[in-house]
Amino acid sequence: MSKGYLCLVLHAHLPYVRHPEHADFLEEKWLYEAITETYIPLIKIFDQLIEEQVKFRITITLTPPLLSMFTDPLLQERYVQHLDKLIELIDKEEGRTYGSPFHETALMYKKSFHDARSIFCDRYNRNLVSAFKKFQDLGRLEIITCGATHGYLPLMMLCPEAVRGQVKTAIDLHTRLLGRPPAGIWLPECAYAPGIDEILKENGIKFFFTDSHGILYASHRPRFGIFAPIYCPSGVAAFGRDVESSKQVWSTQEGYPGDFEYREFYRDIGYDLDQGYIGPYIHPDGIRIHTGIKYYKITGKVDLSQKEPYNHWRADEKAAQHAGNFMFNRQHQVNHLAGLMDRPPIIVAPYDAELFGHWWYEGPKWLDYLIRKIAFDQDTIEMVTPSDYLQRFPCNQVATPCSSSWGNKGYHEVWLCGANDWIYRHLHMAAEMMTKLANQHHNAGGLHRRALNQAARELLLAQSSDWAFIMSTGTMVEYAVKRTKTHILNFLRLYSEINENRIDEGHLSYLENTNNIFPDIDYSWFAPGMDLPKAASF
Amino acid sequence: MNVLFPWLFGAIMLILVSGIFLWPLIQSRTAKKNDHRGFLIPAPLFNEEFSSELSNDIALKPPKNQSLEAELPHHYGMDRMILMVRDPHWLFAYWELTATKNEQFTNNYGPEAWSATHPVLRVYDITDVDFNGKNAIGYTDIHVSENIDNWYIQVGEPDRTFCIDLGRMFSDGRFITLLRSNTVTTPRASLSDRLDEEWMWIEGLYRSIGRFQYGISSPMIVEEHALRKGVVPLGISSPGFSRKD
Repeated sequence: MSKGYLCLVLHAHLPYVRHPEHADFLEEKWLYEAITETYIPLIKIFDQLIEEQVKFRITITLTPPLLSMFTDPLLQERYVQHLDKLIELIDKEEGRTYGSPFHETALMYKKSFHDARSIFCDRYNRNLVSAFKKFQDLGRLEIITCGATHGYLPLMMLCPEAVRGQVKTAIDLHTRLLGRPPAGIWLPECAYAPGIDEILKENGIKFFFTDSHGILYASHRPRFGIFAPIYCPSGVAAFGRDVESSKQVWSTQEGYPGDFEYREFYRDIGYDLDQGYIGPYIHPDGIRIHTGIKYYKITGKVDLSQKEPYNHWRADEKAAQHAGNFMFNRQHQVNHLAGLMDRPPIIVAPYDAELFGHWWYEGPKWLDYLIRKIAFDQDTIEMVTPSDYLQRFPCNQVATPCSSSWGNKGYHEVWLCGANDWIYRHLHMAAEMMTKLANQHHNAGGLHRRALNQAARELLLAQSSDWAFIMSTGTMVEYAVKRTKTHILNFLRLYSEINENRIDEGHLSYLENTNNIFPDIDYSWFAPGMDLPKAASF
Repeated sequence: MNVLFPWLFGAIMLILVSGIFLWPLIQSRTAKKNDHRGFLIPAPLFNEEFSSELSNDIALKPPKNQSLEAELPHHYGMDRMILMVRDPHWLFAYWELTATKNEQFTNNYGPEAWSATHPVLRVYDITDVDFNGKNAIGYTDIHVSENIDNWYIQVGEPDRTFCIDLGRMFSDGRFITLLRSNTVTTPRASLSDRLDEEWMWIEGLYRSIGRFQYGISSPMIVEEHALRKGVVPLGISSPGFSRKD
């Protein structure tokens, strides 16, 4: 009998980066790299665990943009091409590194790329959603949803209809692709404001997460702090992030990912090797990019040129040690908490999925070891999902969580600062216009319906929190600005065309083809509702 | 004249725009104040709006984010004052004032009234109040310059409810409201004082949590990487990276 619960949450998200207009779009590579480095490695370990009948329970968000990209034939085809180039490159690397200390690592990549190809093409027929759905149906994963385009909901609450549009669109796509409606949601950027839960409630969502202070600062003060969920007055449960288990995994400075034996992110052959050799495998314009082939370990606090060769056996040992350490700390934590509480504590540990494999190369290994150790080496903690917990403990305290996010400084500043505040003037206006359109056009048909639906798509795409985030980081700003502007301008054009009854079908078809997310969207989801929370409360 | 002017302006803009469209779309950084309006012309919806705006803000300095917004309309022809919460201590407001509002003011208070007054943001504390314009718990005035249309407001008070007015103030201190915002409540920045008798908090639990740090998420990875290498990867919660030149 376990004394407490561990709720691991992986949040898998990428913004919608599909650019049919160009064969080599840099930003599309975010998706391809994440597939090779994160999603496929996770699928690989889950499949292996199931085959060996090792029990585990993990909560995972597959955001609607990610689901859409996973199922998009153009991106699937491009990924295969990308992977084939990578395989071609690693074949050359096998020869080039022969007899050097890098050869073992080259062979490791070779195996992993070939595995990726067989998992992607043969096992799952290019559709990774089917892999995750399988794990869901086998009871191993609880898959939850997110905002339709990862819109930053607290800053959208001025027009609650916009929040509702994000939620409804997300649930619809999720249900279509995964065969059942999601019980929970990962609020984009873990960002909550009072009132959002009412919209979740209306749409059948039973739980969400906040950062630690979202629960700790709730009112009334929660009895169990972050070690049990609270119910919002609307009846939706809110789970708070654990403090202790966060930094160990997230931080390269203080946590596991910075270990000297682990792979160094910044020594990539895309940057290190001669243009003549690497040219065909980087951007055709000669822009150097990461290929994913990296031969060095972090080594220590030394200059990039002083890094030493990576040894994947040793890194593997470290991953096992770190998994053991993580489990030991959780056991210790649970033992301590269980003495203070009259029910088993739940430790909520959410991470970006892309942390595993992409930022922290050994992350999937670590997760694999952790799952196995929890299954075989102890019985203090049990892995559960929020739905499991709520089923066992349906009675929880009622309190209102505190408006918060998991961004820097804990509130909304990352998404509302000098670098990005200008977007809200447009986003709010467009959201209001969309609501007006939905209100004015009931049961539109034909061309009108198509234009209204496309307007909703453009609004949603403009609302991605990713754009505001990128602007605040100061890198790649141009792309984020361009995406924001493009979608708003597309929206405004459609808005006036619809209002003036002069829809340009050619242009509409172009937009439908380019920004083809949410094929089944229904603009009426954006209609005003009497029952929505007052904007005042956010 | 009042009627003619917008159309004249529209016509000039049309010519301008057809010119602009021929340029490759690379002038975003240097775009001037009028460019973003120009792009609007194909959508006549906004014709009226920006033309009416013209009379009172053509002489204004572009706001700081102008270059980023370049091709978007800066005005939507609607009087609005939007208040947003950034954190427990800061609010952000942006607003748009149409020429009609401006004219109304002049009609009510005389032709000299606009130049005899200056803009003021009045920040009302309306915590637990059903605000009617007069019953605020208190207010603070922020004197702003004519040229701006957004402002960060340091209220410094978590868990309070605010609303703001944009108005004009005469030299004798008389304040005339032009726009009123939505209301917002700042988040708490500490534990709630409200305790639940049935679910009395377990002090020891809170003590074991101790101090904690905000913002452990993908932005932190970006920062840590930047620190480590002087290289800023592009971090969404995502991969994608670029080197700082």
